[in-house]
Amino acid sequence: MKGRNTGWIRLLLTITLIIGMSSYANAGGKVYKVGLSLAITGPTSDAGNPYAKGVEDYFRFVNDTKLLGEDTIDCTIKDDQYQTDVTKRNFEDFLDQGIVFYLNYSTGSTLALKKDFDEVQIPVLPASFHAGNVEDSKYIFLPIASYSEQAVSLAEYVVKNHKGDKPKAAMFIHPSAFGRGPVSDVEKAVAAGLAMEIVEVVEHGNDLDNTAMLQRLMSKGVQYVICQTIQSPVATMLKDASRLSIIAKTFGENGKITFLGAHYTGGNDLIDLAGNAAENFLWTTSYTITSEPGPGTDAQLELAKKYGRDEKAANSHNYANGIMVAQVTTEVIRRAKEKGLEISRKTLYDELNAMNGDNSYQPPTTVGPVTYSLTDRAGVDSLQIYSVQQGKFRKIGEPITSEYMKKIK
Amino acid sequence: MSYFFQIVVSGVVVGSIYALAALGLVLVYKSSRVANFAHGQIIASGAFITYALTVWASIPIYISFFISMLITFLLAWSVERIFLRRLIGEPIISVIMVTIGLASILDGLIYLTPFGTKNFSFPLFLPAEPISIYGVSISWTQLVGVIITVVLIGGFSWFFKKSTVGISMRAVSDDQFASMSVGISVPSVFGLAWATAGLSAAAAGGIIGNITGLNFDTLHAFGVVVFPVVILGGLDSILGAVVAGIIMGLIQQFAGGYLDGNFGLNGTGEVLPYIILLIILLIKPHGLFGIHEIERV
Repeated sequence: MKGRNTGWIRLLLTITLIIGMSSYANAGGKVYKVGLSLAITGPTSDAGNPYAKGVEDYFRFVNDTKLLGEDTIDCTIKDDQYQTDVTKRNFEDFLDQGIVFYLNYSTGSTLALKKDFDEVQIPVLPASFHAGNVEDSKYIFLPIASYSEQAVSLAEYVVKNHKGDKPKAAMFIHPSAFGRGPVSDVEKAVAAGLAMEIVEVVEHGNDLDNTAMLQRLMSKGVQYVICQTIQSPVATMLKDASRLSIIAKTFGENGKITFLGAHYTGGNDLIDLAGNAAENFLWTTSYTITSEPGPGTDAQLELAKKYGRDEKAANSHNYANGIMVAQVTTEVIRRAKEKGLEISRKTLYDELNAMNGDNSYQPPTTVGPVTYSLTDRAGVDSLQIYSVQQGKFRKIGEPITSEYMKKIK
Repeated sequence: MSYFFQIVVSGVVVGSIYALAALGLVLVYKSSRVANFAHGQIIASGAFITYALTVWASIPIYISFFISMLITFLLAWSVERIFLRRLIGEPIISVIMVTIGLASILDGLIYLTPFGTKNFSFPLFLPAEPISIYGVSISWTQLVGVIITVVLIGGFSWFFKKSTVGISMRAVSDDQFASMSVGISVPSVFGLAWATAGLSAAAAGGIIGNITGLNFDTLHAFGVVVFPVVILGGLDSILGAVVAGIIMGLIQQFAGGYLDGNFGLNGTGEVLPYIILLIILLIKPHGLFGIHEIERV
């Protein structure tokens, strides 16, 4: 009997000790809850997977290196398989957990949950740069220049560097809000005086061969194709264009087509899919990329190495994309903490809106500073043009910003 | 004129590949009257196995292509043996639901590999320069794809018409009980049908993967893309799959070449095949070459 009592006492002591130790582990430190719902599997998971790794690794780094002192960030990452209903469920779960900041992913789910974000007044950084995300919404902040700004900037780049008569361009877009978003803005820029002719807007499908479409564009004298979609259809088109020998070897080469694309069309995945056909493809994004090494990309590679990521993830611009949104989240928490404010949705929202002028934030992973205000909802306004040269994306000139986006806003 | 002929060539190439991708669906339906909704995943698996053998195991692509066909042959046979054999005699809808579940399981398994979320492309093994004749060009990948398609479809047609096993498979498709009564092992025929479907899916995956690059979303979507081809041709007709595949390929290319971008039209290449499919089904409800069964009560 005595032995049995001693056993119970030991068990109770052990449980008390474990509970005590786990309390001690968090002693003096607060835990800030953040949620991320994205496509780790399912459509577009080739972008979502490295993005999730970037977010996860950076928050681990923040906690491991005590960037917020004893306080930690607890980011729960959930897979939504690119399904808006699942994203909504995940978001509601995160709210139950008491998140103070939310990271979303797709254009569709960001548009669908816009009202929910406003209702619970939570600041949101999505991976979608669709300009429509921030219309009639106070709480969504784009990490970088919108797809519209990217497409208009590419159009401006074409006009600036084209030799000869007014350049003729076509747009090759994803058949969704994600793809269609920038079309009207490019058309508005043309109406506002951008000297370019938009000959055609092509919505692609699951094409195995784009020969007919490319021939049609050639027959209409198209010299430039601006793409706003994902890598896979662009790769198939580039392969067909390469077979037809119509890819311009130099910018604007006469009788050929120069292909350009926005953020999600490019990166190493495009080279992996298209191989040599990706040569001379022009791509724009606001992120630094590892084929153009610098302090930001060194830090990116170091972070990937620290947490055992493979080479492909480490070099992905979507990994940088994930790191960047985690950096912005951390920065607003740090700033609010520094001011002695309670960390809440409201204070973090206010900190984001105050991130401008001298308070702008320069993450190492982007080509320009992140600025937000009540009227400016796109983080990094600068865009870098890259071109594929001998199988690597290489920087062309200095970062640019769109002139016409200001005119058409 | 080369504009027209280039579209014809591209249409035939795309159509042939559709036909090969559709072949697996036809083979399964022909023997078991089941539409396999996991076909796209098997196509993708074939492409990924070929890549893994070629790049990671350093086996020449010509050999790894055949090994992957053999592996998917065994994989599809195992799937039939483990999941579907016990459903013989059960309502068709149960079997179809199992294939939908199977697609989910295969999705999950592929997402556990690097192929689920990463993009790859096959190393160049054919000349990069296309073949051009009078301004009409075709890449070596496309040409080899068409040749493989012709050989495989020819082989399967012969197999079903002339070989004892092929004739047994057709017999099972017509009447399972009558086939059993003459000594044909229905379960073995089902297993073989799935296995050959797996083999042809791997071939299709290898070819499509060489053309589009290896992206899981793109590859498994072809399992759905070829459904109209199978329905148009007649669910149980190999010849129908070939003819319908080429019709679909030509419609898509001609729509892309002559309709899109004109008359305010766009994306007709995606829609037109379905419109034609509906019209043809109104006239021939069993598809172009499907068997119209007459049941006597």
